[in-house]
Amino acid sequence: MPTLVELVERVSFLAAMPAVAGILVTAGLLVVNREWRLSVIALTVQYFFVALLLTRQIRLELAAVKGLIGWLICMVFYMTERQASVLQQPTVDDGAPPAQRWRRWVMSARSSFSLLAVFLVAVAAYAGTLRFPLPEALFPGDITLACYLLAGLGLLQIGLGESPVQVGFGLLTFLSGFDLGYVALEPSLAVAGLLGAVSLLITLAAAYLRTAQATAGEGGVP
Amino acid sequence: MIAGPLLLLILPLAMGGIVYILRRWLFPLSALLSAGTAVLLGIAVVTLPLDQPVSAWGGRQIAMGETVTLLGRELVFEQSDRMAMAFLFFAAAGLFLLAWRFAPKTLLFPIGLGLLSLLCGALLIRPLIYSILLIEIAAALSVFALQVEGQGATRGGIRYLTFTTLALPGILVTHWLLERYAVTPDATELLDQASVLLAISFALLLGVVPFHTWVISVADDSVPLAGAFVLAIGNGAVWFLLLDFLEAYPWLGSHPLFGSLVSAAGLVMVIVGAIFTPTQRRFGGLMGYAALLDSGAALIALGMNSQLGVALVLLSLSVRPFGLILLAAGLSGLRARNGGANDLDSLRGLGWQAPWSTVALVFGSLSMAGLPVSAGFAWRWALCRTLAPSDLGTALVLLLAGLSVMAGVWRGLSSLLMRPRSAEDRSVIPMEPSEGWLTAVVVVVAVAASVGVGLFPQYVAPLADRLAAAYTFFLN
Repeated sequence: MPTLVELVERVSFLAAMPAVAGILVTAGLLVVNREWRLSVIALTVQYFFVALLLTRQIRLELAAVKGLIGWLICMVFYMTERQASVLQQPTVDDGAPPAQRWRRWVMSARSSFSLLAVFLVAVAAYAGTLRFPLPEALFPGDITLACYLLAGLGLLQIGLGESPVQVGFGLLTFLSGFDLGYVALEPSLAVAGLLGAVSLLITLAAAYLRTAQATAGEGGVP
Repeated sequence: MIAGPLLLLILPLAMGGIVYILRRWLFPLSALLSAGTAVLLGIAVVTLPLDQPVSAWGGRQIAMGETVTLLGRELVFEQSDRMAMAFLFFAAAGLFLLAWRFAPKTLLFPIGLGLLSLLCGALLIRPLIYSILLIEIAAALSVFALQVEGQGATRGGIRYLTFTTLALPGILVTHWLLERYAVTPDATELLDQASVLLAISFALLLGVVPFHTWVISVADDSVPLAGAFVLAIGNGAVWFLLLDFLEAYPWLGSHPLFGSLVSAAGLVMVIVGAIFTPTQRRFGGLMGYAALLDSGAALIALGMNSQLGVALVLLSLSVRPFGLILLAAGLSGLRARNGGANDLDSLRGLGWQAPWSTVALVFGSLSMAGLPVSAGFAWRWALCRTLAPSDLGTALVLLLAGLSVMAGVWRGLSSLLMRPRSAEDRSVIPMEPSEGWLTAVVVVVAVAASVGVGLFPQYVAPLADRLAAAYTFFLN
């Protein structure tokens, strides 16, 4: 069975611009998309790319732990949304007539606007990387771009989010961007642990609010 | 030997667990246990000496002043922390006591104790920068207390969490900038960058306009007493943290723009509060804008760049819980009889059914307005008198802002005390109020305390003065 180091070595070719592109796609999907299954998958893949970039900044084991915390967060969201969709079964998508189900896959005006906003934030992040680069010795250009993308798209998600879970996705994306940069400045285990605890508690708070929303019978977009 | 800082962290946390289990079956006991724990810790913080251990139960000794290392960070309990801790514990005890009568089945008790532990940790941890991580964890935890059970997701908790999260990077990065500055003292631009980051982060944490939306949401769309906990106790801890930062990094306070920027931010908060308070159609919104106004006034005091200003800030922190907690308790009592709504139309005539809630609401509002015969008057009048000789305009704005809060309360009160017009409707009003005598006793004690502070400020003001002496950043 391959070891963790061997596994990471196999995908290490992704730990540069491909990972940044992956982050752009996944964080963009979180902003544009309102289908919870796709959002949870996007967040899972985003944490994979963030962990991959982290392997260049900190010890492999610590990066792996941060990735695992991220996937644990995705599990919590998955289970919460599953529970919420069971509670809301008669009113939300599963109860809709088959003829209307295809609509959720068609881009609405809101999604088009979100996509445009994602594009603008991506351009701003790229311009920011060129105009205000983080210290070159600590942050290679692609990591700076990834930090700016995650922070910017996280903020956008927080601003556009309508439900607690969407805002939670935004907060976690924003924190991932900060964490990616901050680990190079403060590599202590205590801070890493506390930041992990913060992410988990944000997830639990968002999940709690989502459950309250579902229990109260509010539709809410996950 | 038990180290004091560990006791302050672990005891509330452990009691929080016990209270959580008890609240399912014995909620009055859980409320009283919470209040008792807070009072006990408050007394311990004030009375136990820092320089020598004292014997406690079973021959064990407690060393309050002993430094503890936890996860590589030091927990230090200093003289200046005493009053801050006492403020946290006694304010929480008062809040738990009122919550016992007005919101007995909420998650406020266990979560409140957990929050006390985290806020203490935030004030004790060194370097100070790491306190923001504990404040952030406290914000995430408070979401559970702010959520109204049985209702859809409330906005208050998630907004509070959002703004606290946004404040986190600025304060953490400041630590790195200051470390770089220590290595390269010629690079003064690092200090400027750190000042900007700290200013933005504290503006987010304190709800300075335009980052104030969380203050209004927490007051308007959450469990009122949990909102009061966040706005009075949580925000109080952030204020103490700000003072600790100013003490630890004196260049912040001596920045040429510090006084004018802080005063301007405070004045804008007061004006926004004064404009929007009387237009509110919900008591929750009124509470939020009144809290915003009070915070703005405290910033004006800090912007005076003097020791007197610091004493006034500390006086404001010590009297703010009276107003906010009473107001929130009254609102809780009224909302409980009204299915959770707090708009003026749905509260019409309810004052006759819940007179003690109405009394709490009126006296709490009086205090938040800073009008006479209330705790808030003690500090607001002192601020106006201090400002008047040098800045009459700001003093007048503060006085008018207080009247504007009262105008909002008057409008609400006229709705609460509206009498039924027809004889048929009149029969709806019970002859005896539905609140028990125990509620009346608790409200009377709380109102008496608030009025007492307003009438005899000479007993509270010296405490604020003594505490202000521990902060020397404006003396250098």
